[in-house]
Amino acid sequence: MVDLQVNLGGLLMKNPVTTASGTFAAGKEYADFVDVAALGAVTTKGVSLNGWEGNASPRIAETPSGMLNSIGLQNPGVAHLKSDELPWLKSVGATTIVNVSGHSFDEYVQVIEALEDAPVDAYEVNISCPNVDAGGMTIGTHVESVTKVVSLCRAATKRPLIVKLTPNVTDITEIAKAAEAAGADALSLINTLLGMAVDAERKRPQLARVVGGLSGPCVKPVALRMVWECYHAVQVPLLGMGGISNGTDAIEFILAGATAVAVGTANFTNPHATMDVIKGIEDYCVRHNVEKVTDLIGGLEC
Amino acid sequence: MTLVNEHAKLLSNQKVGPKLFVMELESPQISASVQPGQFVHMLLPSADSHVLRRPFSVYEVSEDKSKLSILYQVVGAGTDYLTSVQPGATIEMIGPVGHGWQPPHEAQKVLLVGGGVGAAPLFMLCETLVNAGVKVHMILGAQSEQAMVTRKAYEVLFGITEDLKPGLATRGGLHTCSLSCATDDGSYGHHGFCTALVEQTLQKAARENTPYDYMAVCGPEVLMRLVKEQAESAHIPCEVSMERRMACGIGACLSCVVDTVEGKKRACVDGPVFASHEVVW
Repeated sequence: MVDLQVNLGGLLMKNPVTTASGTFAAGKEYADFVDVAALGAVTTKGVSLNGWEGNASPRIAETPSGMLNSIGLQNPGVAHLKSDELPWLKSVGATTIVNVSGHSFDEYVQVIEALEDAPVDAYEVNISCPNVDAGGMTIGTHVESVTKVVSLCRAATKRPLIVKLTPNVTDITEIAKAAEAAGADALSLINTLLGMAVDAERKRPQLARVVGGLSGPCVKPVALRMVWECYHAVQVPLLGMGGISNGTDAIEFILAGATAVAVGTANFTNPHATMDVIKGIEDYCVRHNVEKVTDLIGGLEC
Repeated sequence: MTLVNEHAKLLSNQKVGPKLFVMELESPQISASVQPGQFVHMLLPSADSHVLRRPFSVYEVSEDKSKLSILYQVVGAGTDYLTSVQPGATIEMIGPVGHGWQPPHEAQKVLLVGGGVGAAPLFMLCETLVNAGVKVHMILGAQSEQAMVTRKAYEVLFGITEDLKPGLATRGGLHTCSLSCATDDGSYGHHGFCTALVEQTLQKAARENTPYDYMAVCGPEVLMRLVKEQAESAHIPCEVSMERRMACGIGACLSCVVDTVEGKKRACVDGPVFASHEVVW
């Protein structure tokens, strides 16, 4: 029996696998395919204080071994999450990470404050969404604004605080260090890579908003590189993601330095992907005589 | 309804018209429960580079409810690849997904309008109505006679013997169901857009004081918009089936939203069928 339990900055997870925010809603939609209580955690879709409409359609485009999205953080607001989604997650016994979004520094704090009396196990602060004009990625690309927003969120809660980083920066370790210094308990990476797709026949962009976030197997090498860089730059644990669709992918991230992993786009291809990843991690550990999955973290030999 | 990710067996995959193919799949779970207007969310087999599934409306279900067929058009790399998949292959599909057609229970006289491959998602609805004794008039529109690949199926369903003039046929003897056709190139039936036939049909019904009490339309968005305007002018409740690019196909990712009078709704689970007045065009 392999010990799959991990501690992600104070968040105890029964296994290292969670969902990438925005790919899994708050779990209910996947209930026909996945026992959400069997996941290390469910990470919910980004939530803001009030509802957001999101971007115009088309919002997605398939690209080689990946996809672009520009959903734009459409969500019905934190009150709806509290009344409709979090009670369900609690009732089925899920461990819950709420992804927190905002248009302004204050909004991040207001969302956390609104959730402090709700059944939430950790927060993931989204300072990296490429699909909103205000807040989002613009906050996550500068050391000063990262320091400010993480400090404010830190002051608002004692719960584990995960900060989600954007890959759309020159040096991700600078941002990682700033988030750690401002009080982050863990870092998650990577959010999507800013990209675009063109329909040559129609001479038009594939996405209504022209640009969007690239995800899927095509981003895995970039994500692995950034997890490895951050592992050597900060002390806090890392939640790695980017193109993970099976157990081997997950193990690669853990070897590069991730304590936990998130499955995102693969949920669309295979609604059972999270369960397959957990099984695959366990199988790998059995095959390599690993008793505790934590023994693999950062185990890359190079 | 419980969704399944069924491993269906591809039984046939045949070209039926220009860029048009029909695939038949053995899928006892989905076939047993799929309702008219619902779809399957199909994973392209052994296409590792295609991470997104493709939504396809169900065209027909076999009498023993173990097989279903899909009419699809080649529109890009994914559907082009699909044409090369050989019978015997296993194809994963999530289904049955979506909110299908909801004709009013009291409907007695129904007008259905299918443009291009949009005629396929209406077939199961038409079958249900015909079997319930509802009087159906079906209008088909296509680019050409070759592209009007569902006509035969509708004629068989209506028990039609070809009438005097091509493109206008009536169910033999009973005269309960009828079919009229329009092609862009005039190769079959009315030469032009099928909205002209809709107009004629509604005017005739008004003259005879036997109005239609439900309309359903599926096809290019411009066709659906024009027909829903005709329906609304005639005060007939109308439903449309919206097509959007989809990722999860089960309501989680918000990729496929449709603008409605109540804000953005998901084509995959709130739709694909919407009341025409609900959609913001």
